[in-house]
Amino acid sequence: MKTGVYFCKCGTNISDKIDSDRVRENLLRHFPGMHFKTVDFMCSEEGKEAFEKDLVENGLERVVISACSPRDHETTFMRVLSRAGLNPYLMQMVNVREQIAWVTRDAGKATEKAGRSIRSAVSRVQLHDPLQKKEIDICPDVLVIGAGPAGLKTALSIAGSGRKVVLVEKSPVIGGMPVRYEELFPNMECGPCMLEPLMAEILHGEYAENIELLTMAEVIEVVGSYGNFAAKIIQRPRFADTHTCIGCAECIEPCPVSAKNPFNGDLNERKAISFPFAGALPNTPFIDEKLCINLQGGACKKCQEACPVEGTIRFDDSEKVYERTIGAIIVATGSDLYDCKKLPNLGYGKLDNIYTSKEFERIMASNGPTDGQIRVAAGTAPSSIAIVHCVGSLDVNHKEYCSGICCQYAFKFNHMIEKKLPGTRIWHFYKELVIPGKDEFSLYHHARSNPHATFVRYNDIRQLSIAGGKKGNIIEYQDISGKSGSVNVDMIVLCPAVIPAEESGKLGEVLETAHDQSGFFEELHGRLDSVQSKIKGIYLAGTCQSPMDIQKAMNQGMAAAGYILSGLVVGRKLEIQPVNAEVDSERCSGCRVCVSVCPYTAISFDAEKEKALVNEVLCQGCGTCVAACPSAAIRGNHFTNEEILAEIAEVLR
Amino acid sequence: MTTDTIFEPKIIGFLCNWCSYAGADKAGTAQSLYPPNVNIIKVMCSGRIDPQFVLKSFEQGADGVIILACHPGDCHYKEGNYRAVQRHRMLLKVLEPFGIGKERCAFDFVSAGEGDKFVKLITEMVETVRVLGPLKIPV
Repeated sequence: MKTGVYFCKCGTNISDKIDSDRVRENLLRHFPGMHFKTVDFMCSEEGKEAFEKDLVENGLERVVISACSPRDHETTFMRVLSRAGLNPYLMQMVNVREQIAWVTRDAGKATEKAGRSIRSAVSRVQLHDPLQKKEIDICPDVLVIGAGPAGLKTALSIAGSGRKVVLVEKSPVIGGMPVRYEELFPNMECGPCMLEPLMAEILHGEYAENIELLTMAEVIEVVGSYGNFAAKIIQRPRFADTHTCIGCAECIEPCPVSAKNPFNGDLNERKAISFPFAGALPNTPFIDEKLCINLQGGACKKCQEACPVEGTIRFDDSEKVYERTIGAIIVATGSDLYDCKKLPNLGYGKLDNIYTSKEFERIMASNGPTDGQIRVAAGTAPSSIAIVHCVGSLDVNHKEYCSGICCQYAFKFNHMIEKKLPGTRIWHFYKELVIPGKDEFSLYHHARSNPHATFVRYNDIRQLSIAGGKKGNIIEYQDISGKSGSVNVDMIVLCPAVIPAEESGKLGEVLETAHDQSGFFEELHGRLDSVQSKIKGIYLAGTCQSPMDIQKAMNQGMAAAGYILSGLVVGRKLEIQPVNAEVDSERCSGCRVCVSVCPYTAISFDAEKEKALVNEVLCQGCGTCVAACPSAAIRGNHFTNEEILAEIAEVLR
Repeated sequence: MTTDTIFEPKIIGFLCNWCSYAGADKAGTAQSLYPPNVNIIKVMCSGRIDPQFVLKSFEQGADGVIILACHPGDCHYKEGNYRAVQRHRMLLKVLEPFGIGKERCAFDFVSAGEGDKFVKLITEMVETVRVLGPLKIPV
């Protein structure tokens, strides 16, 4: 077997420490007649050209490259092998630069070590198999879970390329959190107005026919892998047909039922049939099964009688199950807010006039429970409001991370309160101020220059305690310098930590994606790949991955779309890396140890034949099963037992 | 003792491709010096390290073996490093009757950023095995 060794000097990076002549002598002593070549810069254009020519001219069958880290240039040289007509896996790199030349004091010892390593590679490479990449057909369609800003942006980016998107939303409406907010930081844009064009695009835009929107729906099962997932989606009945409904709301008034409206933080009432809020999309009401007299067995049909379009209100609507094939999945399920009852000293849930930021957004919204009027429970306008920042964030006793958006919306509140009720005394109780971004400073400066605003920095939220007083609530505090004080305020707004959405744990189990220590979906890499999950083909966008603002959430959605558009290309097959595991069914004893250790559920058990079977799309080539197999029936391609043992034997010779 | 007679231990280092091998590269790019006694065998995942590789290493003359894996929770393959931990514990039990103490078969976690930790572990391993002397497996 004709093997060639190429020794790259890397300028002087390698040759300063390692003597190529001595390496050559050492090598030829053990492997007489070996083809050995010294090159100045192997990775340069000239270097690669000469390498290719040399491979062909000498009819080499195996190649060892002694150079830099394979992490830098393995694929570079593999491409040269392919160009020269050689299988790219018939090559082994020896990392003499990073792991010998640069780290060894003594040149003689470095040369000796390089010699050992190169010999070891030679004995290994002679056992290499020519491995072939395989190709499989893919489905270019995409499942997007969650129709908030990130999900909407992703769905549009993908649908615009002509692909089908299945957009699954748990609630009856789309738009996520920001459609609840009348004004958004930093530019005081109206949330629904900002999202309206996006939502209209989804529902009636140029590419709307590529988007299948399933509201009140959840993904309950996913099988398969990148390129070919199969998802099962369950949709709860809406009892109103979104296709025929004209959105006139005639059905709502006659409904005799009244209940708390969770969309407005239970601050007002709604009917059994309702829109969560005016302007909600899709513009079709839904019936709450538990509240509806008819659906609970009663005789009421008042909404149906009032509806001008026959067949729109359908009491016989039932749960539907959809099965869809898709090539990739984007999780954009958003987030929630930390439960303020976990900080009992703040009195939330026990005292009147204490609201979370989400509730306060609805109080200030013109389509909210008070038509946008800021009023205390007794009905009068407050003359003082305290805004408590960092409720549960940056706190080892609650959530250690900074939620990153609270300061900005707290200063937005400052601005809105001042506008609605000029002269209102505002107290900001904060632990840290975090205001990144190029536009976000303006609301901060505005709050700082508000003559009616006072800033109090506290050290630990346990040093704030809120109790009911004769008039309003009393906040007793100790500031960061240890000074105590107390203020009487009419209203309190708490800015809680952003936490993962309640359902994300369940969805994580369905998708088999990991969660981080805080319960957010875990990214492949915090800096390089915050949009990819650890499962190939499943991407993360928006606050399901980490607290973030709308800008970042949308950016992540577009990034995820980019990965999919470039990774799953219509008309192109998906390449499967050949460095994976293979079962030799002759040797397999059917013990199933491999099935239990595989981190990717890539190994299944054929009960009829009593043999294990590797799914080559799911297999990532880690080799954990190979090391576990007691009968050596699984072969780890490119890292076979024979190859590794030959490497060990030669290095110790 | 003169320098000529200093025992130079032969050590095999099994490194996973993603964290530990990258950690070794990190030490390289920082040009941090360490003893040349360790030869690295790269595997894709520490979960691929078959106990027989370690046994064969000792049989064929290694005086020590060091296994380096990604930190818990950081495994590129989700949990291969946990398998590596389990197998290492088992290995120590198998090696003991042959008089191969646990100092000769080390296990640790090195991330892609921990070039300094890699250098420290390798240096300590070489010094530890140097003090223990050459491995003599009873026949």
